[in-house]
Amino acid sequence: MNSNDLIMLLKASGYSITLSVGAITGGTILATLLVLLAFSPSRILQFIYRVCMWVIRGTPWLVIAMLVFLSLHGMSIRIGRYYAGWLALSICFSSLFAEVIRGAIIAIPETVFDSTKSLALPRLIVLRKVLIPLVLRQGLPPYINVCVMTVKGSSILSVIGVWELTYASREIIERNLTVFQTLFAAAAIYFVICFILDRLGRNLETRLAARGFAHDLAEGKQND
Amino acid sequence: MIEITGLKKRFGQQEILKGIDLTIEEGEVIALIGRSGCGKSTLLRCINFLEEYHAGTISMDGVELWYRCDKNGNRVRRSTAEIAACRQLMGVVFQQFNLFPHMTALQNVCLGPRYSQKVKPDLAESIGRKVLTDVGLAEKVDAYPNYLSGGQQQRVAIARALAMRAKVLLLDEITSALDPQLVGEVEDVIRNLTHEGITMILVTHSMSLAREVSHRIAFIDDGLICEIGTPEQVLDRPSSPKLNEFLSI
Repeated sequence: MNSNDLIMLLKASGYSITLSVGAITGGTILATLLVLLAFSPSRILQFIYRVCMWVIRGTPWLVIAMLVFLSLHGMSIRIGRYYAGWLALSICFSSLFAEVIRGAIIAIPETVFDSTKSLALPRLIVLRKVLIPLVLRQGLPPYINVCVMTVKGSSILSVIGVWELTYASREIIERNLTVFQTLFAAAAIYFVICFILDRLGRNLETRLAARGFAHDLAEGKQND
Repeated sequence: MIEITGLKKRFGQQEILKGIDLTIEEGEVIALIGRSGCGKSTLLRCINFLEEYHAGTISMDGVELWYRCDKNGNRVRRSTAEIAACRQLMGVVFQQFNLFPHMTALQNVCLGPRYSQKVKPDLAESIGRKVLTDVGLAEKVDAYPNYLSGGQQQRVAIARALAMRAKVLLLDEITSALDPQLVGEVEDVIRNLTHEGITMILVTHSMSLAREVSHRIAFIDDGLICEIGTPEQVLDRPSSPKLNEFLSI
């Protein structure tokens, strides 16, 4: 493995990062829409949510990626491997993000709504000032967890021919048979990306903790 | 001022309130006492419509609050806007404080005036600071609930209810979740409020507080008002055997 290979790996990791960020964004948007179903008053919509969960969560990412890619191909929709990969990854992780958001919502104690009702707060204000801030704080740790999984999950897109870190490493290996060096380098790059993500998450958590949240976890609860 | 007639409420098959009739005068402090599960908290929650009820009326100054009759004479819920308007007439303080954990004391207190009553931000803030000062927490305006003691949190909750400038204050076992040494500071706030002539309905397990601050005490048993009268009548000369038994525990 020479310096050109390393540059190639770094370039490929740029694609991995872009794909991951795209899938995290897309997955979160999809998840938000799914969660709206879960909390709709209609039983049918709630059921649709559960079916989506069963199907998406119960199907391997690799299979979803191939299905998306091949069915787009079959329907003669030519959006390119890159976008197909992004779409597949967004779908794969939407179910995980959705459950994170749903979990954060049901973790809000019912008593909070007693307060918002008795204060006669308008619905939009409840959403903006109470619900969303609480969901963000409670959902942050598992959310970062899923983000890290998304980064690692982006590697499966190499199977449908999306050129990213894993695909590039395979190319290098096939060219000069430096199996271990290349794989270690790739693993190290994935590790660094995930590590930075984790640090970012922790950073955010501490910053929220300083604002009255998760304080008891961060530095021991000061009570009474 | 508040008139409750024939109030009935059931959870599933179980009837919790079996026809409550109660009239509360302006400026009156009334304590609701009774065993756990007798329906006193449910009654308080019905008054603020935190629980829907199945029959009966709750009116304030002659206007029925939460339900109305439609053209065909059916009982229907009032609109969300009407319900919100009625809720602003009352402040509620809960057993578990129910403060918003991600907001400072001041933000908690200002939320109602600012967004329910659409008061200008600076005015809302000055109202907030004033009521927090009134409950003795002037230095804690920027503290988050997690950093306050239980007694302080409950005082913030009282301030939050007062900030709405409600005519009526509903207090639901507000000292039950507190350590004994913190009860006093919260009770002091209530004592001060009685001097200001605010109408209060309080659910309490503390007979001493009920005796001290209330004009009348209602003993609720099995979903009905079993006995009602001045603290002396109810606590010193109970007429029903059930109340006698309750007080002797």
